[in-house]
Amino acid sequence: MTSQARFVQPPRFATWLVNLFTVPQDDSIVGDLFEEFRNLASRSGVGFARRWYWRQAVKTAASLFTLGWLAAPWSTAAAVLGGFLLAGYVNGLPDKALSVATDRYLLYWSSHFQAYLWLLRGMLIGHIFASLFVGSMVALAAKGREMVATMTLALIFCAMAGIGCLWLVAKTGEIASLSGLLWYWADPLAIVVGGIIVRRRRSPMTAVGSA
Amino acid sequence: MAGRDYLGEFEHIIMLALLRLEDRAYGVTVRQEIELRTKREVSIGAVYATLDRLEKKGYVKSRRSDPTPERGGRSKRFFRVTAQGVTAVNQIQRALSSMSEGLGMIGSYS
Repeated sequence: MTSQARFVQPPRFATWLVNLFTVPQDDSIVGDLFEEFRNLASRSGVGFARRWYWRQAVKTAASLFTLGWLAAPWSTAAAVLGGFLLAGYVNGLPDKALSVATDRYLLYWSSHFQAYLWLLRGMLIGHIFASLFVGSMVALAAKGREMVATMTLALIFCAMAGIGCLWLVAKTGEIASLSGLLWYWADPLAIVVGGIIVRRRRSPMTAVGSA
Repeated sequence: MAGRDYLGEFEHIIMLALLRLEDRAYGVTVRQEIELRTKREVSIGAVYATLDRLEKKGYVKSRRSDPTPERGGRSKRFFRVTAQGVTAVNQIQRALSSMSEGLGMIGSYS
């Protein structure tokens, strides 16, 4: 093994990605990837080994995602369904707060429209915090399969937003409506981030620096 | 054995790899053995997903080794085929050989 290969580390983010889906305290999968990475780096070069590692990490995360579903389909589905219902309730709270604030201070907003626009932007941030909360709750319910449950819920919301936007474009013919997808996908992303936060607190191996 | 307990194609390949490797069978060697003999790229995740399934069926048992420095202080998970697993492999091998009996040159059908 060359001296460079002996000290080279695999991509940290790829390792972190795999650790999100492994069973907590089980380091054998990452250990196998590490061992093969070192051997490949000494035989075929660091660049080749890094590309191989990334390919393996993505495929492994996808396999472990499926495995997580197959291991406990009913409890995972229950966590996702609970998250879906919770999101329906929690995501409505910023809108209700906005409605109350608008009604109560109508005179003020009419003379300070710029401030009202800031309030609207604040509502979007409120949505993101609500989604973070939902993601955390789903991850807490789906112990050991935090990422499987939160990613499934996020994919459902992404698909719903995508279908909604396509329907709108088909109906109005305005392609610009698709730009709204970026905002709609911020909420599902926040759900996944909520899952990652809970997962990291439960399993120290998922810290990026643990590669 | 119930029909649903039959080994799938990849499960069959993994079981044969474990039998070939004997006490050297862990993630890396199993993955490399399959790549070497089938010439197809296999992810370590797919190998572990299948091994976990086989362990649940009782065809495979695993044990952990001590952490080693060449793996960054991580342990290995060794696998071995159980008696029930050997029976399952023999059954599928017999079924395959019975199905291909008399077909001599399968390539001529393509």
